Amino acid sequence: MFSTVRERVGEVLLPGDEFSFEAEEKISLTAPVKSEKVVCGPGLRRCGDRLVVFKSGVLRHKEPNVFWIDSQQRRYVPAKGESIIGIVIAKSGDVFKVDFGGSEQASLSYLAFEGATKRNRPNVQVGDLVFAQFLIANKDMEPELVCIDSSGRANGMGVFGAGGLLFRVSLGLVRRLLAPHSDIRSDLEQLFPCELVVGMNGRIWVKSATVQQTLIIANLLQSAETMTAQQRQQLFRKVQQGAF
Amino acid sequence: NPGDYFQLPCVEWALASRTCDKLCSAEDCIPGTGVYLRHGYIYSSLAGYVLRKNEGEELPVISVVRETETQLLPDVGAIVTCKVTSINPRFAKVHILYVGSTPLKDRFRGTIRKEDVRATEKDKVETYKSFRPGDIVLAKVISLGDVQSNYLLTTAENELGVVVAHSEAGAQMVPISWCEMQCPLTHSKEFRKVARVQPEYLQA
Repeated sequence: MFSTVRERVGEVLLPGDEFSFEAEEKISLTAPVKSEKVVCGPGLRRCGDRLVVFKSGVLRHKEPNVFWIDSQQRRYVPAKGESIIGIVIAKSGDVFKVDFGGSEQASLSYLAFEGATKRNRPNVQVGDLVFAQFLIANKDMEPELVCIDSSGRANGMGVFGAGGLLFRVSLGLVRRLLAPHSDIRSDLEQLFPCELVVGMNGRIWVKSATVQQTLIIANLLQSAETMTAQQRQQLFRKVQQGAF
Repeated sequence: NPGDYFQLPCVEWALASRTCDKLCSAEDCIPGTGVYLRHGYIYSSLAGYVLRKNEGEELPVISVVRETETQLLPDVGAIVTCKVTSINPRFAKVHILYVGSTPLKDRFRGTIRKEDVRATEKDKVETYKSFRPGDIVLAKVISLGDVQSNYLLTTAENELGVVVAHSEAGAQMVPISWCEMQCPLTHSKEFRKVARVQPEYLQA
């Protein structure tokens, strides 16, 4: 079964496609038999003795035995540990209500900032942008955000956003931007110096030297979703030549 | 008021009464449950049916009950079976379904606080790793609560906790330890506070 899964790496699969154990695979009598373990990532699930696909997308593989489906969607589902950009909607008691684009609002305690105590409250107003990560994120409870990591340090999280532009992209583009050695990021570095905050909920915040440059970068990122690498590099080169 | 009473065909001596109805004078009957004595007269304190019973003393005992069958109420220390309706980082809300082995007609509400889930390491308890909505839980009543709050329950014993739970794939899970259950379909493990049911209560 391992080999049948491996064959289809890189193919587009639809929900309902299955990989099952078949007895026709021959077992050698001389070579030692190793038990194969397949680790299912997002989009794959074990159902009895079959491996079932439940999200449409491209099957990917990582050595030695991790398989997952790379799917595109715009609706963000919160997961524990992911950092997102949220907008503060309301202040109720000791807790801020933050909208991150999900089905409900997340709560952010005012003590979850670096150096915050009961007397020393953080300076957060309604309408501010916060870069936070999920502490609790599951389908049964209200999601909870924090702006500190487990050791109590901010680590880049907290309130930000004076003078930049926030826009929405699909989750696939965000994952491509955040991947190590990302092509899009290296292309962007050669264009203009800019400040970029990327949230896993599909929100990107850009700030550059002038308003025009900021708008150019925002448009480039939004159009980079549907372009191949070549088209993208062509476009970036055109912009670089056309700009000062 | 005598004119407002109506007769029921099955129970001929049960008459309907409203709260504060004057039932009779204290010389005719002895007050039972659901009635009170004031200025020499017996008044009803519940809206329900009037029962007059001759218990072997000289005067009959008069009482008012909401329903003709008596309802079993959960008492402090009773083991109840409940179903989790919602969870919260601080507590879990449940509906009480059975008291002991008798089912209840109405669902009473109960609360299991985070510190009452386990007997040891109370501050490290995560409600999401102990219960999920839809689980059937065996718990013990520790307090009846006041007017607005629900029954307070605890699962801080080995024999209390989750008995039936369904996995995210929808199959009923099998307990593998006091804190984990496994789904037979996807073989994924989920955390719950599992009850160690005594062998004599398990049906083969």
